[in-house]
Amino acid sequence: MDPSFVILQFLTGLAYASSLFLLAVGLSLIFGALGIVNFAHGSFYMLGAYLLYWVLRGNPEGLWWGLVVVAALGFAIGATTERLLLRPVYNRPEHYQILLTYALLLVIEDGVKLLFGAAYKSLGPPASLAYPVWVFGAPFPAYYFVQIALALVVAGGLWFFLQRTRTGTLVRAATQDREMLEALGVNVPRLLTVVFALGIALATLGGAATLPMQTVSPGIAVEAVISAFIVVVVGGLGSVWGALLGAFLIGEIQAFGVLVLPEFAIAFVYLLMVVVLLVRPWGLLGRPPAVRT
Amino acid sequence: MKRWIWIPALMIAFGGPALAAEPIKIGALYMLSGNFANYGISSKQGVQLAVEEINARGGILGRPVEVVFVDHGKPDQAVREAKRLILENKVNFLFGIDSSSVSLAVAPVANEYKVPLVVTHAATPRLTEMCLPYVFRTSNNARMDSWAAAAFAAKQPYKRWANIGPDYEFGRVSWEDFITRLKELKPDVEVVSEQWPKFGSSDYSSYITALMRAKPEAVFSSLWGGDFVSFAKQAIPFGFFKTIKFYTNPTGGALQALEPLGKNTPEGMLVSARYWFLYPETDANKAFVKKFHDKFGDYPSYNAGEAYSGMMMLAAAIEKAGSTDPDVVKAAFEADGGLKFESIEGLKWMRPADHQVFEDLVWGYTKNTDKYPFAILDPIVVVPAKDTIYPTECAK
Repeated sequence: MDPSFVILQFLTGLAYASSLFLLAVGLSLIFGALGIVNFAHGSFYMLGAYLLYWVLRGNPEGLWWGLVVVAALGFAIGATTERLLLRPVYNRPEHYQILLTYALLLVIEDGVKLLFGAAYKSLGPPASLAYPVWVFGAPFPAYYFVQIALALVVAGGLWFFLQRTRTGTLVRAATQDREMLEALGVNVPRLLTVVFALGIALATLGGAATLPMQTVSPGIAVEAVISAFIVVVVGGLGSVWGALLGAFLIGEIQAFGVLVLPEFAIAFVYLLMVVVLLVRPWGLLGRPPAVRT
Repeated sequence: MKRWIWIPALMIAFGGPALAAEPIKIGALYMLSGNFANYGISSKQGVQLAVEEINARGGILGRPVEVVFVDHGKPDQAVREAKRLILENKVNFLFGIDSSSVSLAVAPVANEYKVPLVVTHAATPRLTEMCLPYVFRTSNNARMDSWAAAAFAAKQPYKRWANIGPDYEFGRVSWEDFITRLKELKPDVEVVSEQWPKFGSSDYSSYITALMRAKPEAVFSSLWGGDFVSFAKQAIPFGFFKTIKFYTNPTGGALQALEPLGKNTPEGMLVSARYWFLYPETDANKAFVKKFHDKFGDYPSYNAGEAYSGMMMLAAAIEKAGSTDPDVVKAAFEADGGLKFESIEGLKWMRPADHQVFEDLVWGYTKNTDKYPFAILDPIVVVPAKDTIYPTECAK
């Protein structure tokens, strides 16, 4: 296998990993801080693609501000959802939360069908990004570099937020011991609203960022949430860096698996998941469940 | 005692005309919810328009047609719905079906209850190869598409072929039929790559680079719907359509895919539509397209055209039979070497042995024009029905 092709395939894997990371990181973040498994996460991702389609009104040139608007809308939708729907079930048994987010999945799916219809929606990339760039003599879609850059910016931003800001420090503390935080006088409910809204904003941004290269239909929500779960199972549910590692591994395994055994390319990803579950059931960068005393 | 006489007399006087106009009931099963509801909805629209026209001209055999639409969902749900239509709604016919796996599950049920089933969309060749006496298909199937593609491919000078298709029965069978037929017609072709992305995938980039690395001259693809749209969008910036000399994709001519792709559609792909709204340029077809567009605000997709034609062909069979009795209708479909019906798409011939319709297949090369916001087929190339008549295992 010539090295230039390896680099090309590595880049396609990286592009896929980027969209997986944006999809899954919010799921992990939300679980880490709120302890909620958000089954509707893929639905917010799908909603993001629809929102971008809607705000751009058929003009792909507005992509940049469109992504900003979608992320802002996603934040607002996330905050509203948390305040109105999730807050009342925090102190209920876990299956209430699971039922609630599953209900959200169904509601959002029917909602977009009502608003946008069942037909596939698609919009190309802006003209400046519609062409290949040449990587060691091989064509590679320019837009994928945008997706890769976006994922890197989000990962860097999250690192800064979690490690260097006061709110971020509190979020990390919330994943450790919520009650202690409350005892120290921190407004924990507001903190949780911010985390949930941030997670949803990232999901909608990730979904929106795929619109120039993919097609959106109500069905992608379920596909997306399954992919997101595979990523966080591999990386470790609740760990932001686990989502990054999981997305990277799955993207690259997919890219190179196709070359090694095209007949069974799909199986490699599941194989990885099985191995991780057997060896480290809490995921590569997840924390083993604490022993309750 | 005498008074009893009056009751039958009254029934004849008042009930008589009502009895004569008892509706012909048809249970139509389509995919009306879920990921592919856009297909089911357009099929339903085709049926609605056909039934409106049939009833406006006085129904069939003087009886109005009444259609009950149900969402067929997955095979187990579809079987329940089919039984409910047969036992509770007492339908005379079952009709429609978008999904191949649903068609394979419902066909034996219809057959068991002797309620003729007319399939208008599901395309697995296995359906008609089950040789069930009360099951008919008025649209062409995937094997005919593959054979047609092979007929074109054999005329091309290209030898290095590759495949990309969804990893389930339809994708596998389409490729198998295509390459087997192509090797019969042109023995010197070689297969350089086969790619099987998961059905419903959103990311095709690693499959595209792997395909291009094998340096095929020509590619056959059975991707459809949203998969085809995503694939095409990603293949363009990889320069795929510039490197590959010949690309053919049955079902690529579906409006469900061409409309979202819009002006981003790669030109020069050889695609089929099963039915294409701009062909043939007959008054009948133009009238249908206009009526459809006026009523639903959209051009009829291939499966809307097939659903409409299927309903009209069933009506013709019942008229010919002079009855809705399943055995008489079956005989009407089979008699005189098989029912020949002039539809908006052209002549449809029902092969008596397997109840599969054969017809000229419309293909074409994609081209963007100013006239439509999506790519159209230009030039159109028509595969004569005789080139797609494959042998059947069903005895007759």
